[in-house]
Amino acid sequence: MVGPLTNVQRSATHPLGIAIRGVSKAFGRVRALDDITLSVEAGQFVAIIGPSGCGKTTLLKIVAGLLRPDAGRVEIGGVPVTGPGPDRAMVFQDFALLPWASVLRNVTFGLEVRGAPRPVRHAVAQRVIAKVGLAGFEHHYPHQLSGGMQQRVGLARALAVNPQILLMDEPFASVDEQTRRLLQDDLLTLWADERKTVLLVTHSMDEAIYLADQVFVLSPRPGRLFRIIEVDLPRPRSSQTTRASAAFGRLVEDLWGILKEMQ
Amino acid sequence: MNRVARGEGMADGLPTLGALVALMVAVEVVGRLDLSLFLPTFSAVARVWWQLLQAGPLLGAALKSLVAFGIGFGAAAAGGVVSGTVLGRFRLLGQVFDPFLNVMMSAPLVAFVPVLITVFGISDVVVIVTVFLFTFFVVVVNTRTGFEGTDRRLVEMAQSYGAGEVQLFLRVYLPSALPAIMVGLQLGVVNGVKGLVVGEMLLALVGLGEFLVRYANVFLITHLYAVIATIMAVALLASYAVQLVDRVLIRWK
Repeated sequence: MVGPLTNVQRSATHPLGIAIRGVSKAFGRVRALDDITLSVEAGQFVAIIGPSGCGKTTLLKIVAGLLRPDAGRVEIGGVPVTGPGPDRAMVFQDFALLPWASVLRNVTFGLEVRGAPRPVRHAVAQRVIAKVGLAGFEHHYPHQLSGGMQQRVGLARALAVNPQILLMDEPFASVDEQTRRLLQDDLLTLWADERKTVLLVTHSMDEAIYLADQVFVLSPRPGRLFRIIEVDLPRPRSSQTTRASAAFGRLVEDLWGILKEMQ
Repeated sequence: MNRVARGEGMADGLPTLGALVALMVAVEVVGRLDLSLFLPTFSAVARVWWQLLQAGPLLGAALKSLVAFGIGFGAAAAGGVVSGTVLGRFRLLGQVFDPFLNVMMSAPLVAFVPVLITVFGISDVVVIVTVFLFTFFVVVVNTRTGFEGTDRRLVEMAQSYGAGEVQLFLRVYLPSALPAIMVGLQLGVVNGVKGLVVGEMLLALVGLGEFLVRYANVFLITHLYAVIATIMAVALLASYAVQLVDRVLIRWK
């Protein structure tokens, strides 16, 4: 039991970078993405923002290996992506929890699929469930939890497989503002702890600036990389210090200016 | 239906029990008014039922019917779940068989029983096949619907964690289809009992159906009701058996 756990912890100390090279994707006649090239350094927190229809979720699914690009490729730590892999885990907008499975079973889903033995699964689950603040809810079912708690389960499920890269598809879009802010702060704490590369798709300007080191702005139909914003706000960030700062307000306004310019 | 079916505790059973008692009382009162030969009292039916039961032949017939039902229903349930799974997972096949399923779902299956009699002669096999026919299609259609209704997002989630085809089936498709499959089986029980009675009555020589025909022909109305009550008991028993399975398999609701 100790062996696999230390293994898991070791891989966490080596985050991987993401390189997206000339990726295009069309669905029938609709061009979703057009020649996207961008790279994310290992251990960075990066946000992708853009109006609906800019293909940001499509891009995330291509990185996840769920969709194949029509042209171009994605490399993770220099290795081309050919499908889903243990180096990446995704967090979904609508949580995508199995309604028939308890919190524990949902959290261990990725480990179960990968054939981890039961004691390992449970040890890991206990750790990540505590980490996302759900200790004591192991045997609850998703419908017994609030939206915010459900997304904590989604996050714990992703953390349980200890990926180097966390792919997040508008993870906090389906929860109320109050919960969203709490989850954002918790995510920042987790990220500071676990040093993973995070690729976050969002449509919230505030969220992108608050969380990310870098914000990629995509233009709609077809999605093209329109601008990159460097977010040089100091870390650790918190609502009181970061959101209240003049620099934060300026960055959000800059971002708004760019989004308006694209219309 | 499901809340009662899943038995959330004894308290939930009380209204049902109350309704049953009320019905019995009502039947008794109406019977005592002596309005018609066709409306015997509850107590009279109960007395005849008890006599028939003690005399033996009714119990034997009920057992025979139950066995025929068990075989027909079991085969239809197994075959129906497997067929429905295949049709639900392979869209093209589902489309190919769609018109046939629709025809069989809406067809008056009673019409097939004379055909079965000519094929199998006057034997239990006819009853078994009739039960099968009455059960099979509703199980197929519900199973298929269950699989087709699997949430794409859950499939995608599982794929993102590296689940292959077998794991997708066992961990996403099957649990997701299970509630619909159980609904199919419950409807299958209802239809299957209809098939049982129809088959036996048309044969007029086996099981409870034989008694139905015999008593109806000689206007032994009270006896007739006693047999009908027995059939209802058989149906209820089968239905509860399925609900029990349902409750064990689907605890999360």
